[in-house]
Amino acid sequence: MNRFLPIFIVLVCVFTVVQVQAQSLSVSGVVSDEQGNPLPGVSIQVKGTTRGAVTDAKGVYSIANLSTESALVFSFIGFLTQETIVGNRSAIDIRLLEDVETLDELVVVGYGLQRKSDITGATASVKGDELFKQPVLTATQAMQGKVAGVQIISSGQPGSVPQIRVRGVGTALGGTTSLFVVDGVLTDDISNINTAEITDINVLKDASAAAIYGSRGANGVIIITTKKGAPGKLKINYNNNIGFRQAANLVEMANASEYANYMQAATGEAPPPSVYNTDWYDVILRTALQQNHNLSVSGGSETATYLVNAGYLQDQGILLNNDFTRWNLRINTEFKLSPKLSFSLQSAYNNNVNENGFGNIDIDPFGNIGAVYNNAYRAAPIIPARVNGLYGNTSGYQNVGNALLDLNNNDIRVVENRFQGSGSMAYKVNSAITLRSAIGGDWRNSLNRGYYYEFRSDENTFIVPGGNQQRPISSLSVKQSQNFRWVWDNTITYLKDFGDHSINVLAGITAEKYNLTWFSASRNDVPADRDLWYIGVGDANTSQNGGGGDAWARNSYLGRVNYSYQEKYLLTATFRVDGSSRLPNVNRWQSYPSVGVGWQISKESFMDNQQIFDNLKLRASYGRVGNDQIPTNAFTQTVNINRPYSFNGSTKPAQNGALIDQIIDPNINWETTEEFDLALEFGFLKGKLNGEINYYNKSVKNALIFVPVPRTVGDADGVILTNAASIQNNGLEVLLNWRDQISESFSYSVGGNVTFNKNEVTALNGGQAIRDAGIGAAQGFVTYTDNGQSVGTFHVLQVLGVFNTADEVQNYVNSNGTIIQPNAKPGDFKYLDKNGDGRIDDDDRVFAGSYQPVAYFGINGSINYKNWDFSLDIYGNVGNEVYNGKKAVRVEGRDNVEKDIVYNRWTSGGRSQTEPGANTGNQLASTYFVEPGDFIRINNITVGYRFNKELVSKFKMQSLRAFVTAQNPLVLQRYSGFTAELPGGPTTSGIELSAYPTTRTIAIGVNVEF
Amino acid sequence: MKRKIRFNYFTLLTGIMFLIPACTDSFLDIKVQGGVTTKTDPKLAEKLVTGVYNSLLQGDSWGNGDVHGFAFISVTSIMSDDADKGSTPSDQAVPVGDIDNFTLTPTNKFCESLWSGHYNAIGAANQAIKGLKDAAISEQQKKIFLGEVKFLRAYFYFNLVRMFGDVPLVLRVPENAQDANTDPSFQTRINKSILYDSIKRDLTYAANNLPLKSQAVFGHVNKGTAQTLLAKVHLYLQEWQPAFDLTEAVRQSGQFQLVDDYATIWRQAGENNSESIFEIQTGQFNNANFAIDNYTVAQGARVGGLGGWDDLGWGFNNPSQSLLNAYEPNDLRRAATIIEIDVTPQRRGTILWDGYRVPSADSVQNRFYNYKAYTSKTAESFLNVNDKNRPKNIRILRYADVLLMNAEAGLALGIGDPTSRVNEIRDRAGLPPKGSVTMADIWQERRIEFAMEHDRYWDIVRQGRAAQVMQAAGKTNFVAGRHELLPIPASQIALSGGKLTQNNY
Repeated sequence: MNRFLPIFIVLVCVFTVVQVQAQSLSVSGVVSDEQGNPLPGVSIQVKGTTRGAVTDAKGVYSIANLSTESALVFSFIGFLTQETIVGNRSAIDIRLLEDVETLDELVVVGYGLQRKSDITGATASVKGDELFKQPVLTATQAMQGKVAGVQIISSGQPGSVPQIRVRGVGTALGGTTSLFVVDGVLTDDISNINTAEITDINVLKDASAAAIYGSRGANGVIIITTKKGAPGKLKINYNNNIGFRQAANLVEMANASEYANYMQAATGEAPPPSVYNTDWYDVILRTALQQNHNLSVSGGSETATYLVNAGYLQDQGILLNNDFTRWNLRINTEFKLSPKLSFSLQSAYNNNVNENGFGNIDIDPFGNIGAVYNNAYRAAPIIPARVNGLYGNTSGYQNVGNALLDLNNNDIRVVENRFQGSGSMAYKVNSAITLRSAIGGDWRNSLNRGYYYEFRSDENTFIVPGGNQQRPISSLSVKQSQNFRWVWDNTITYLKDFGDHSINVLAGITAEKYNLTWFSASRNDVPADRDLWYIGVGDANTSQNGGGGDAWARNSYLGRVNYSYQEKYLLTATFRVDGSSRLPNVNRWQSYPSVGVGWQISKESFMDNQQIFDNLKLRASYGRVGNDQIPTNAFTQTVNINRPYSFNGSTKPAQNGALIDQIIDPNINWETTEEFDLALEFGFLKGKLNGEINYYNKSVKNALIFVPVPRTVGDADGVILTNAASIQNNGLEVLLNWRDQISESFSYSVGGNVTFNKNEVTALNGGQAIRDAGIGAAQGFVTYTDNGQSVGTFHVLQVLGVFNTADEVQNYVNSNGTIIQPNAKPGDFKYLDKNGDGRIDDDDRVFAGSYQPVAYFGINGSINYKNWDFSLDIYGNVGNEVYNGKKAVRVEGRDNVEKDIVYNRWTSGGRSQTEPGANTGNQLASTYFVEPGDFIRINNITVGYRFNKELVSKFKMQSLRAFVTAQNPLVLQRYSGFTAELPGGPTTSGIELSAYPTTRTIAIGVNVEF
Repeated sequence: MKRKIRFNYFTLLTGIMFLIPACTDSFLDIKVQGGVTTKTDPKLAEKLVTGVYNSLLQGDSWGNGDVHGFAFISVTSIMSDDADKGSTPSDQAVPVGDIDNFTLTPTNKFCESLWSGHYNAIGAANQAIKGLKDAAISEQQKKIFLGEVKFLRAYFYFNLVRMFGDVPLVLRVPENAQDANTDPSFQTRINKSILYDSIKRDLTYAANNLPLKSQAVFGHVNKGTAQTLLAKVHLYLQEWQPAFDLTEAVRQSGQFQLVDDYATIWRQAGENNSESIFEIQTGQFNNANFAIDNYTVAQGARVGGLGGWDDLGWGFNNPSQSLLNAYEPNDLRRAATIIEIDVTPQRRGTILWDGYRVPSADSVQNRFYNYKAYTSKTAESFLNVNDKNRPKNIRILRYADVLLMNAEAGLALGIGDPTSRVNEIRDRAGLPPKGSVTMADIWQERRIEFAMEHDRYWDIVRQGRAAQVMQAAGKTNFVAGRHELLPIPASQIALSGGKLTQNNY
């Protein structure tokens, strides 16, 4: 930041030194925010006098009787105060910088608001405007890199929700999704929320802040507040962006001649001659359209306000036939019936259609869509994709499905309709007491439909018949699911100042209920005509169906006390008791206390005479939160139905039976996180430089783990899920932001945040270390979550090098002289025989790093110059590893290979020690597949231009801005695959098998206000 | 006025807020949706009984449990002198080849899956017995159900004791994980004699409470089934008198008789025939075939050499040369037991009973296949004929066994008419009657009559001549005093912290 300090000093000097003769002048102008929206109610004071003015509804002001040296001071709550010398100007338009660090700003903290200066826990907030400018589906995606301690792992797949990890992974077998609270409605999926509708997002990061959400706070809480109308004239806003996206990184595969060369070397036989040279990724990927339109109408009076917002988003997806669209409508209203009584209603409807979504397990039973990336990786370039309507027969040649054929012969669609809303009533009993009751609801219905075309491996489908890629009979499957949840919060707040003492008490009761039902069916032999895609049309003899449901309820009591003395000494204590139907009676009620203390050092009298700090605050907190993301049936002994027996003879359907084959731990409980948090917040130079340093220590002492039991007890999988393991996350977050206004027409900001986190399993307590991420071929399980390691650490053979000669193979022996790899050939990997037993097997695997980064960071900058605005967001992480699993899917000599490997492979002349000689695949899991996951990515660059008011008013517009935005224009990664951002479960992340590539988007758009 | 309004709102809101806690107890009382418990389904007790039968069908040999799947085939048939591993030399060389060659170790996956499969089944039986206690059914019906479950539990233990010798005796459901991990009875091997007492107790209960076959529900076990298995248990313990008495009782009951054509016994037409005493039932469920995993596909003829045909399976469990040599000339049972691949230069192939032609040796991987595991795509009825793993009922006990056990016990005691019993069997096989029989004759008859029917290995161990028979068959790795039993799974010994002891491995 030191770079900027001289600039600042110089500017201060310039303003104070310049002296101009006094004259009687009058000045007028418009005051607006950074985006150019007029600000009504801004006070303008002539410095050194009591004279001044206030802007009107259009942000216009005028002041007379000024001299050229008069200084005007513009101030408005929530904005940085600005001063300017009149000089010879008669018109002075001012843009005020929003003060992101306003200490008196009210922050949403869960069941209420709190002044930012009074907060003792770790929270962060992001403004809706910052999110909306990005051409992405969800607000969480747009938050990437903007909040310290919150790691967001995105996927390029249309319609997908990014994965969020708040301060590391605190579970191995439970869920890791953050809790979202949308206008008081608790949910785990916000893909329905249009980012244009968001006022701000608040993240409760530590246990002390999240403890008010009790058993759901362990993965962090993300509170979303949607926009509301403001009193005044009707306002119409239209925003859009339209652009194209394509894969940001592609893996280049060998072409036909390189392939022939490699295959000859690997198998000793040349591929058959072919005139084709197919780039399979080119066949299945495309440049896709993406567009987003948003129209809102808002306004109201002092007693009633409204906002209606309609949005349409289309994201085609770079995979052929993939398409995602979302329509949404929101109506938010507020009514003040009396000064004491007010109502508000927020309601949203949305409709999503996801066509041929990738890896949609529920409806892609054959996994054909998910397999196309693997198939494109393996398919030989000498086979054409499609010629004159007939497909190239990859399966006949090399036992790989033709990816294009699979894409064209599966039609998978997921339609979701969702209503989400909340209504609340607040009654101010007196100046201190407010009662509030709010009811929220969330109804979702999704209909999945998959149609699988019939085709045979004959001359009607393929250029050359044969092979095993065929579907002798068409089939149709459908799945319908519906869920509804409601939540009812009743709170009472008491807010009072007694001289130096200020107290804010919240008490509340909430009740919540959830239910889900689903039904699925499938039949074969449904004709290919789209109008006939109904279950009843299929062959009844092939009927299959299923169904099920889930239901739970919660009842909670919560309380919070904020106390401050002279606004210097702060104390927050919260308490929540959660009762859940999912826990057995013995431990149904769980309590989650937390306490935080703060010291506003800058308000101490001994700080009065210093000029450096305008804010200095030390805070510490401790709290307990829970992770309740455990399946409902993990707690209760249930019966496995459909265990029949053929009592009726072999030609009649068997008689249904049931089996109890699981032993359940009746004392199983939510995972409990205890977290300690210590932070220093500081602000220098009149709020221009702000920052925060935050240390945390999160520990989970009862993480779920499988404990093995003797087989003799009759437990079908031989393990019982119980709370035994301990997992710890330690971390440090550093955050700095600099904002400055250099002249009326030039302001800029730059900020950065970095989070260091260390994750470790500190005890298993009789639990079984978890082997997971079985990725097929010869690889086995590639992660091993063991004591002393990070959750999901890769566990593979150590490659020592490549054998150069047969002698080297013979000489590679253990202490007993046993040849360790007797079957190896020159060009094969030499693996470490860790246990020295003279052979290479799974016992020789070593830990090889994990997907969890040592640090992740974001850098954000913006410049406003005259009518231009520019912003830049960068995100990256360092110190993690990723597993290039897709390389391992090569299982035979005819499979294609990456171009780099063709040239860099071991040869008897070249003798590479990192790349093996030409081989037929089926490589063992080893450090060869483990690659550095470090990357840095320009998340977004936006350049906008705001047209002059005079010009746009001719078109009846209040304002018009046009912009160009680029999402992910530049990705620098050390990893050789498609993307190093690889979401997954706690023990299966960071593995690229068939990941959707990161996409790059260039879009243009306008923001219009009428 | 203003005060009053405020008061009303206040009471209203506070009232609402306190309504919720008032209904807390019922509000939070939500059961697992779709999760059936003994309390929610009155028919559950009966379904749990069916579930115990279902446990007979476990065939997850490489995974969580096998009772009658590939692992069962391996240790009852492939391990014996009647069959070889088959398939290609490298295919399943580790679990199956090791069993065939007696190079098996305590980490053998098939041994482990048999251990867990049988204890899964015993667990199901114990759960059913627990569930039956409070079932709302007649006492009469309850006794029948209990009889069935106890019969099955005894059968599972009989298999376990024959495979592993002393094993933990578990007759109850553990309360929870802690109970499962701390009660030593789950991890302590119990002397065979105590196990056998428990088996006999369960079978006696079953024999006393189950109805005769003619009065029993089709497909369920009956009095005769229990008596026959109990007789077999006594035979294994050389308790000749009860073995003789029980077989005599089954004989006199008039419920069973030999069928005329031996070749039909293992076909669909022979399912649950007059000779059938205990048969593992398969068929169809949920619009699909319902079979023991891999039972038929593992044993189906396998493509090899020139190829060119869609084969029947993986080609395991090939009848051995030793078995072929054991047949007397003109024994009808040989052609009904063994598919012999055509090795003649004419390459006519082998025409099976339904007209299906198995290609000649140049296109087939092995020389001999188990005919009893063959299913016909054309002459038998299956819901999904294209599925290679078609359902096949496994005939565990049939009337011929009663006759031969009766003969053996009778001969040992010097009572009854052993020769006639044996001749009844020989007559059906198209063989001349014997004038008198020796123990060796009876054992030979057993071998041929039950060839490939999963009886042989345990039979020769029981007869105390496993080492001698294995030596004669050229299986020279067999070590007397070790290979009569399978190794206790190493993983379970490790888990028990050494409480579970190993066999002589």
